[in-house]
Amino acid sequence: MVNDAGQLYTMEGVAAGIIMLLTAYIVVSTTSVYTTGDTHIPDMQLEQLGSDVLAMMDTPDAEDTESDLKRYINADNAAGGSDQFRDTFLNYCNRTTSGAIDNLYMSANVTYREGDLIKERLFVEPPDDGSWTGRESAVRVTRWVQLPTGNPYGSRPQAVLVEVLLWRA
Amino acid sequence: MACMNEEGQWIVLMGLLVAVALFFLALIINQSALVGQTTAEGVLEFPKNDIRDLREAVFDYVKEFGDADNAVREDIIAISLERKNAVVSFTVNQKMDVSGHWLHPVEIHYNNGVTVYNETVYY
Repeated sequence: MVNDAGQLYTMEGVAAGIIMLLTAYIVVSTTSVYTTGDTHIPDMQLEQLGSDVLAMMDTPDAEDTESDLKRYINADNAAGGSDQFRDTFLNYCNRTTSGAIDNLYMSANVTYREGDLIKERLFVEPPDDGSWTGRESAVRVTRWVQLPTGNPYGSRPQAVLVEVLLWRA
Repeated sequence: MACMNEEGQWIVLMGLLVAVALFFLALIINQSALVGQTTAEGVLEFPKNDIRDLREAVFDYVKEFGDADNAVREDIIAISLERKNAVVSFTVNQKMDVSGHWLHPVEIHYNNGVTVYNETVYY
């Protein structure tokens, strides 16, 4: 009854079965296609870049001097602080080692406390050249700044939060 | 079945091995996108820069006001809750002798619901 003929056919059948099962598994498990945007990897890089830029701007040139960031925030829109802030920020984060500069854009606002109210003031307006498209893929980076008496946000010494919205157009 | 030729079985076996190996490689590529996503989300969720920045803000506070109470503390606590979704608290005590240096013991607490950070530091 039982003989050992046709072993190769049996093996072929098993191999085909395994391959079909694996194919079905891979097809079923790949229910969605991940693009780079879905995987948040550019977001992660952008957030780290933005945080680093703010940290650079918050580092004073010498001990016991004011950092650029603090000076810009304290100067406020009126004294051109917001323009300088925008230019410095974009200069730092668009800089590449060689070739054309990167195309990152930003807007910024400052959050401060007045009594029981948390208020927000626009510091750098979003660009009006049509690159204001990046709401969805924008990341937010923040930095604390402590201001002395007589700052634009109140008469007492204050801690304000600078929030920068950063996106690639 | 008749006239079955059993030669070349090694070639068939090697073909099978190559096919299986290719499927495992396909499986690895299939998973790699997911690994990148999980890592990136983990990094995005972990508030590394927020905690570093908070520490710096607290140290600025200690440098400016020492252990005196100031409204700046309320600024940091209230704005953290409102804009960073983080419950923050910190205390600064009187200077004490730490190995010959007079330093303020500072306690920093941070909790954003996912990550909890507590620190006692002498500044």
